[in-house]
Amino acid sequence: MYKTSIRGKLIQGDKSLSKISQDILAPIDAKTPRWWYIAMTISMAMFGWGIYCKYVTISTGIGTWGVNNTVGWGWAIINFVWWIGIGHAGTAFSIFLLILRQKWRTAINRAAEAMTVVAVGCAGLFPLLHMGRPWLFFFIFPYPNTRGPLWVNFNSPLFWDFVAISAYLLISASFWYFGMVPDFATIRDTTKSKIKKAVYGFFAFGWTGSSREWLRFEALSFVLGGIAAVLVVSVHSIVSTDFAVSVEPGWHTTIFPPYFVVGAIFSGFAMVLTLVTLMRKLYNMTDFITDSHVDAVCRILIFISLIMGTAYLTEIFMAWYSGSQYEMFTFFQNRITGDYAFQFWAMFTCNALIPQLFWFKAVRSRLWIVFIISIFINIGMWYERFNIVITSLTKNYLPANWATYSPSIIEIGFFVGTLGMFSVGVLLFFRYIPMIAVSEVKSISKFNEEIEPKEHH
Amino acid sequence: MVGVFDNEFDLVKAFEKVKAKGVKVDEVYTPYPIHEILEGMGKKTRITHAAFFYGLFGALTVLGGMYYAAVISWPLNFGGKPFNTFPSFIVVTIVATILIVTITTLFTFSARAQIFPGKAAKIVHPGATDDKFVMVLKSGEAGFEAGEIEQILKDSGASEIIK
Repeated sequence: MYKTSIRGKLIQGDKSLSKISQDILAPIDAKTPRWWYIAMTISMAMFGWGIYCKYVTISTGIGTWGVNNTVGWGWAIINFVWWIGIGHAGTAFSIFLLILRQKWRTAINRAAEAMTVVAVGCAGLFPLLHMGRPWLFFFIFPYPNTRGPLWVNFNSPLFWDFVAISAYLLISASFWYFGMVPDFATIRDTTKSKIKKAVYGFFAFGWTGSSREWLRFEALSFVLGGIAAVLVVSVHSIVSTDFAVSVEPGWHTTIFPPYFVVGAIFSGFAMVLTLVTLMRKLYNMTDFITDSHVDAVCRILIFISLIMGTAYLTEIFMAWYSGSQYEMFTFFQNRITGDYAFQFWAMFTCNALIPQLFWFKAVRSRLWIVFIISIFINIGMWYERFNIVITSLTKNYLPANWATYSPSIIEIGFFVGTLGMFSVGVLLFFRYIPMIAVSEVKSISKFNEEIEPKEHH
Repeated sequence: MVGVFDNEFDLVKAFEKVKAKGVKVDEVYTPYPIHEILEGMGKKTRITHAAFFYGLFGALTVLGGMYYAAVISWPLNFGGKPFNTFPSFIVVTIVATILIVTITTLFTFSARAQIFPGKAAKIVHPGATDDKFVMVLKSGEAGFEAGEIEQILKDSGASEIIK
């Protein structure tokens, strides 16, 4: 039993059930605010530049990027890993907190899942275009073909990655969508607009809220939640094996899978925090996304930040303890010091030090500071991937192979394009989809009352 | 007869009283799942069992497919490793099985709960997806006495009774 006297109210403002629907669905019926159009225009411009850069990449080739024979993985792979990491929050949030029966998740999980779907979509573009001939990408499917049949290498992490990312995209999208079906039905039954009634009615798939529907719906969430929990751990572990099974110094370590999974959840939670603070401010969702929600996410971030710091120090210690001169060189002369020292220390400061400010209640309770720190974590996690990809590749075993790397304008544009794509997705989500799971919030509203449900009169 | 309630506690109270009378409740419509009702309706779902068998089938198919491709159809020598590199097949097996279970379970849900694109909703009470808890009783059921049932619904705090 959830004790309001101990844990605080889950929903502020003593709302009736229909008030909950009205408040959450208000932005869908309201006139589109002006800032939305401005933000959309900027995002579309970024997205458009990204499309142009993709066009250049496809029509001319990978030569338009800054990558070379030594540094074959540039921004494309950095950004891929970064986006996938952000995409982990949706599943981590919904599934882990569902399994742990955390009732406060209901206000945030919808936004986290939406973010997952868009972020994984952004991530998938990078390896696709990095292939060089994206129109032949279907060669990676293991299907009986006329080339032998020549099958793919099932031992290759790159193939595992392909399976994992496509499965993750499909699964998180369907999990997200089916969670929304009851809410679409609520819009259908409460809206006054005929067009909305028809459109949302279609997407509601004929949902009525009958007991036979809810019974199976619960079973479905249980099954999907249970198996997708495995995915949270497996997808980023697989991404880490892309690195860990190669013999580059700084990559070939056993710490990689847990290090990547924790890092992914870290950046994902930070992005969730960025989004919900925006949602709370822009749409006035303060009653649903309460101070204690923000507080809870901040506390989780302190914990994960400590794990990240430990992981960084462990890597450095192991490089020294291994006695391998290549590992020593990579960590001590090419990360902590050397050409890429700035990126290393930016990573360390943003991920391991700055989030420690969350220990202070004064920091956790000021939304604008929380917002800024969440942005810092996102930047720090980007630098972590830069650090891993670039420092190991630029200077590996043979000094004759050493090369520097800096991104071309096309690569930068590609990344900016995905940022635009992400914010377009998020803005559409804010505008057209209930950004908080209405039916789930209703189901926890009874816990706002101190009395046991049985004694209710 | 349709009883409309404003909160789940009144609904559950009425539901249990009606059941105690031996009258079968035809259907209950609620804005969110209520476990007393889901259990009380006496329906069982085997979706979880179905999902287990989908998983078993999926895992065997994926593993078998990889074995066929890598060992029987076109064995390739990767650095002298055995053709059947079972441990590294497991990774793809897990992920692809999860995908297969998800998709097949979704279709099963769609078929069993009859939730699919293009279905027109049969709405008993438009408030059932918003803030009303609706209980539907059929007059033809055994032990159904309109006056008695109406009294139970009223006593439990029904805000509206539609005959």
